[in-house]
Amino acid sequence: MFDTVFPQLIGLCTGALLLTSALMVWRHSLLASIRLLSVQGFALAALVAVIGLEEGEAEVIIVSVLVLLVKGMALPWVLAHETRATTRTDEAPRLNPTAGLLTVALLTILSYVVASRLLSGDTSISAHAAPIGLAMVLIGFLLLVTRRQAGSQLIGFLVLDNGIATVAFLTSGGVPLFLELGISLDVLLVVVILYVFAGRMRNKFGNTDIDQLRKLHD
Amino acid sequence: MTPVEAGMLGQVALLAAAVASALLVPSARWRSRVSGILCALLAAAGVVTGAIALSGGRGALTIPTTLPMDPLVLSPDRLGGLVMVVVSVVGVLASLFGIGSARVASASRTAWASMAVFLFGMQLVPAATDVVSFLLFWEIMTLGSTALLLAHHATRGTVASALVWYSAMSQLSFFFVLAGFAVLAGATGGTGFAALATLDPSSWQASLAFVLLLLGFGGKAELVPLHVWVPRVLPEAPGHVAAAMSGAMVNIGVYGALLVCVRLLPNGPAWWGVLIMALGAVSALYGILQASVASNLKVLLAYSTTENMGLVFLGLGASVLLRGDHATGAADAALLAALLLMVSHAAFKATLFLGAGAVARSTREMNLDRLGGLGSRMPWTAGAFGAAALGAAALPVTSGFVAEWMLLQALVHGSRVGGEVVSVTSSVAMPLAVAVIALTAGLALLTFVKAYGIAFLARPRSAQATAAREVPLIMRIPLIIGALLVIGLGLLPGPLTVALASAVGPAFTPDVRTIGLAGVDARGIDVVLDPTTFVALAALVLLPVLAAILISARRHPTRVSPLPWAGGGSRLRPRMQYTATSYAEPLVRVFDDVLRPTRDVEVTHVGESRYLVERVHVEQTVSDVIETRFYRPVLGLAQRFGVLARRAQNGSIHRYLSYSFVALLVVLIVVSL
Repeated sequence: MFDTVFPQLIGLCTGALLLTSALMVWRHSLLASIRLLSVQGFALAALVAVIGLEEGEAEVIIVSVLVLLVKGMALPWVLAHETRATTRTDEAPRLNPTAGLLTVALLTILSYVVASRLLSGDTSISAHAAPIGLAMVLIGFLLLVTRRQAGSQLIGFLVLDNGIATVAFLTSGGVPLFLELGISLDVLLVVVILYVFAGRMRNKFGNTDIDQLRKLHD
Repeated sequence: MTPVEAGMLGQVALLAAAVASALLVPSARWRSRVSGILCALLAAAGVVTGAIALSGGRGALTIPTTLPMDPLVLSPDRLGGLVMVVVSVVGVLASLFGIGSARVASASRTAWASMAVFLFGMQLVPAATDVVSFLLFWEIMTLGSTALLLAHHATRGTVASALVWYSAMSQLSFFFVLAGFAVLAGATGGTGFAALATLDPSSWQASLAFVLLLLGFGGKAELVPLHVWVPRVLPEAPGHVAAAMSGAMVNIGVYGALLVCVRLLPNGPAWWGVLIMALGAVSALYGILQASVASNLKVLLAYSTTENMGLVFLGLGASVLLRGDHATGAADAALLAALLLMVSHAAFKATLFLGAGAVARSTREMNLDRLGGLGSRMPWTAGAFGAAALGAAALPVTSGFVAEWMLLQALVHGSRVGGEVVSVTSSVAMPLAVAVIALTAGLALLTFVKAYGIAFLARPRSAQATAAREVPLIMRIPLIIGALLVIGLGLLPGPLTVALASAVGPAFTPDVRTIGLAGVDARGIDVVLDPTTFVALAALVLLPVLAAILISARRHPTRVSPLPWAGGGSRLRPRMQYTATSYAEPLVRVFDDVLRPTRDVEVTHVGESRYLVERVHVEQTVSDVIETRFYRPVLGLAQRFGVLARRAQNGSIHRYLSYSFVALLVVLIVVSL
């Protein structure tokens, strides 16, 4: 029974991942992006749980809980807290939504083409869905390149990280628990550091537009 | 443990002691004394170790390493021992002089600690038997000297820019040396000198490595065109530091060239010799020309180093060329002349720089146009400087004369073996080289007449020169030792020459022996020089003449009242004397195209009058043509490129992220194609 549902579940989760990533490129509001990030975290956790159920490994289920806690709750909460605490500054990205969505489409096609070459021998369901992860990496990078505010940069970075995690889970059936623990802590730490850094920037310059960071000072 | 090993370990221990004392002793006065003595002991250990190695003692220290290559072994051979002795003797003199001369900046912790490191690195470069340890100590030496100069950064603003030049040029020559050794190591598959020596000198790798190494070592030996740091750095360094750099460090450059031409790749093709000779000849002429018109005493001495090193390389190149032509006797004699010149240069240049340091300490003035009359105020310094200046001008009974005489003899006898012309190349190159040496010797004479005459003779040209006092005993001792070395090596060159001949074996076997008291008999080219006999004969002729003059002078009564008019001579004022600038004026006119001087004449009139002149200020500066015509355009080009590159690197984070993103996309597209 589960074997017949499994492909649909994988497709559902990865579809949610791709959809949330694309929506983040479309939406300009920071809070909306953070909500989407939270949804993406839940989708990622669900994906890990589905893989764990299919393989029947308890360890992967634990990892999925960890992913849920860190990527679905902790990180979005930290970001939202930081954003709500300050005046709203909506993003004025360098790419308008239409162009952004077109680029997302192109990047997704590219990642499917690349993945079809790289994983041509692998016909499993997971491998079939792996291009989604690659597309998320590229979309995260696109967010990094086009967004001006430090907060949006953070979101781009997290999407990129989610993409890497997705590829890892889909192609290798999950990473060992302690490794996942280390990576999650790393990401959490980076976000906290960047969060503090963005706070300092705001105190100093009145906003977090990283376009203004151009010169080195002693 | 052999004596050589004990000597090298002793140097390590003394280095540690000297650095510790430099860092720990709180009072500047005592720091100078303790560290200075420890530095002198460190150098003395180098003298002993080198002397044992030169006389044939062996011993090896292995530096433990985990890198996968030939072991790092320190084991000086005879040639290494010779260079170690030369470098260390200068180190002893410089350290002793430093005790007295070190004041605020030069007595700082950094200065003394880096002095010890500098001496240590310099002394152990010749002990290296593989590429890695050679480069290791080479860099220790360079870093030590840089830090030593940096210690004076606080007192003078010009030090910083001089240091930038020095660091850049040091790195450039290090790069050439590294690249040259890398080519050799790549061709032979080893890093030990014994492995490198197996390469066939006629292969293209050998030639490439030779050119790179020659440029690198030439840079350390202050040869044109890598000399541009010399006239900037040495005037900024205090006397003892300049003596250590210009008297000792340049010898490491010569040692590198000897290593290539004598140890690693002997029997190289003839064009190598021509290349070395050309480099040496250009350096010699350019150096002495700049020295002859310089009015800063230290700049003059710095450029004179370029000249002397040029002559050393000229001798070395002649030796390579003649050896390629199978004129072995002359080749060995030329090599011997190069070594003699290196040793004698170390002696007289160290003494000259120490003398300049003494003058700087007493007058705080290095501009020759403002010195004068120091001979009666600083008799010891004047005597030592005078003896060393004779050596630098290559006049008889000094070591400089012996060396240049030997070089000329080798070149004159070189192009023919038994009356037969050996090759067209050498029959063109040798007479040209003789002409270069003749011109150089003439200009050197002029230069040092100027340096000594303007600074020490006549009347003082400034208040500081009038108020000059003799330096303390601890500074006079190294000066006197240096002067005695210059005269001693000139009077008794025999034993030194024999030792030098033994140092370059087994590839070269100059046939020299001592004749008379301590004369030289170079049997390879059938010439004999015996300075003591020469002096005795000269005395035999001159003493009666001198006595006759003195006796006849006594018969004439001395004038007690001055002449009323005396042709204007009784009211001579210091400003009526020759200055360094006016003395060099004819030369500047002759070599106007090469020197390109800029003159600045400033006339101040009395009141509104156009005809009455209150004072005329003339200033002449001679620029370094190679710097303005070669380095400035290259630097300008680099700067323009930098401005262009800044468009791509404008500091925007988005731009850098875009670069990575585009690179990632390109990689993915390439992969999927």
